[in-house]
Amino acid sequence: MTIARRWYERDSRLIAAHQQPAVLIDLCLGRGINSHKLLRGVGVFHEDILAGQLRISPEQYLRLIGNARQLLDADDSAFLFGQRLLPGHQGAASQALALAANLGEALALLVELRALLTPLLAPRLVLDADYAYLSWHDACGAGEQLDFLLEASMAAVVAMSRRLGGEHLPWRFHLRRARPRQIEQYWVHLGEDLHFAGPCDLLRLPRECLTQPWPQAAQTAAAVAARQAREALCALEGPASLLDSLNRWLLRHVREAPSLERAAEAFGMSPATLKRKLKKHHSSYQEQLDRVRLDVALYLYQVHGFGNDQVASHLRFHDATNFRRSFKRWTGLSPSAARELIRV
Amino acid sequence: MPTLLRLHRLKFLALLLAANLGLLLHLAVGDLKGITEWVWLDILGEGGSAFLALAWLGLILKSRPAGRVTNLLALGLGCVFFSWWIDLLDEFVRMPESIVWDHWLESLPMPVGLVLLTWGIYHWHHEQLAISVQLEKRERLFREHRQFDKLIPLGTADYLRRQIELELVESRRQQRPLSLVAIDLDDFDSLNQRFGHAEGDAVLQALTQLLLLNLRRQDLLCRLAGDRFVALLPDTGESQARQIAEELRLAVASLAHRSRQHGERLQLRASVACAMALEEDAETLLARLNQALERAKRPLALSA
Repeated sequence: MTIARRWYERDSRLIAAHQQPAVLIDLCLGRGINSHKLLRGVGVFHEDILAGQLRISPEQYLRLIGNARQLLDADDSAFLFGQRLLPGHQGAASQALALAANLGEALALLVELRALLTPLLAPRLVLDADYAYLSWHDACGAGEQLDFLLEASMAAVVAMSRRLGGEHLPWRFHLRRARPRQIEQYWVHLGEDLHFAGPCDLLRLPRECLTQPWPQAAQTAAAVAARQAREALCALEGPASLLDSLNRWLLRHVREAPSLERAAEAFGMSPATLKRKLKKHHSSYQEQLDRVRLDVALYLYQVHGFGNDQVASHLRFHDATNFRRSFKRWTGLSPSAARELIRV
Repeated sequence: MPTLLRLHRLKFLALLLAANLGLLLHLAVGDLKGITEWVWLDILGEGGSAFLALAWLGLILKSRPAGRVTNLLALGLGCVFFSWWIDLLDEFVRMPESIVWDHWLESLPMPVGLVLLTWGIYHWHHEQLAISVQLEKRERLFREHRQFDKLIPLGTADYLRRQIELELVESRRQQRPLSLVAIDLDDFDSLNQRFGHAEGDAVLQALTQLLLLNLRRQDLLCRLAGDRFVALLPDTGESQARQIAEELRLAVASLAHRSRQHGERLQLRASVACAMALEEDAETLLARLNQALERAKRPLALSA
């Protein structure tokens, strides 16, 4: 059984350079940074970007981010960048966001159009009776830029909801990273409900906030913009990255504990090729599988209120002890500690 | 800053001329030594010293605007360099015994230069005192330029943390209260959206000046992050801190900031909060201040 063989990889040239990357470039130019220094090693010139046809790969974008961080040398770079990202200047996709009826619709669009709106970090939206959870997953092997991307993406969503909804929402932030030295940047740009050193990177919001109507919503125009954005999405190499697609495939088959060979077959390539491609994205099959099993475990705890035994048997572990040991290896936390951290 | 160096072009030219003249005089009168006669240790020592003196001169001139103190420092260092330069030439050129002026050329500029340099540094000290008065309320007893904010002439959160820690110890020792006030602009994001980020930066810079004007001599203002500022108020109890916070809020509300592009007035509003230090460390105190500010900003969100 194979799935649709369309995805983008770390070196696929799919990101329009004059859209998101240009936001970062403008931020740097506004701080007096030399454009040649900024684009060193990225392999493009500012003039090419200005021409408006250039597309760069996730790898080049990550390099640009690395340069920008180094040259800006400030604790607030990611947040300032993030605040300018959404709805942004991504053509129809941004327009669809800006005209959405409410936050719920906007977040659903963000997830659907993620290859256009957030190509490096894949968002996933889960709802339970009380809350909406927006989790973030590395899509292209961000490496040391991951914290920057998380800060920027979270700031982007928070700023968009405030801008379009016109009010501060009670966001809660869960991050895997340890409490940062520059905590005040998080306070000012995100909010004070912050939880560090947890098992996942996640935004949480009371569910009713998703349906409060946004004042500038325009149903018909939004629908047209969304359709155009979907067409733009189809024109890309794929609607999601390889890591992201594998993640979603694993989510569907996690209970069968699929082997690398089976996954490779589903993606229509040899196991060796899949291995090589994952390595290119600074990851491995085992890591991806563990990540998905962790996500499922957290989901079952939080949304279905499962206990350790139930989660262990759902994920086909021999027993709860075995599961607990694995969980500890995935997160460095015991299941109960992790549950405590995300439930608070 | 190439512009500052350009100011001092004449000084460099004069020094170059003097060094060349020394060289020419030596060559005219003396004979070149053969490589076998060179004493490498002396060449390295004297040459290195001359080079370092030149580097100091370059750095000082590059970082200072023109003026009396700069002239003194430059003249002093110029003499020191010249003296070492002549000293170095001796290593390559053998002078006839009958010539004495080369000793004068080597030995006289050094004491003169050092006297000038000392005189310059003494005045530099006075100049620094005058500048420190201008930095009042932005800097207290400790300097670390890596903790200056890049956008706004204030210390960063790291600088603030360090100052709070010092001041906590001091206030405990002297049994005096210590308070913090936080000031945060309302709707800064929409201001950025409407008028552009450059205008937002200009507002923050104007706000800095305004807040500094409204603080007392002993206070310290730092930029925490984004549009949030924190003032450290030594020897200040909670009620007085609250009063100062309220005055700062009113000052922001009545500031008539005009946009750079069209000169229209931007109506600014700020939320303020204060916290008096209890038995706690800087981190907890800052966190408490921040929570107080969040409450002041969104009374509704918390009750929801």
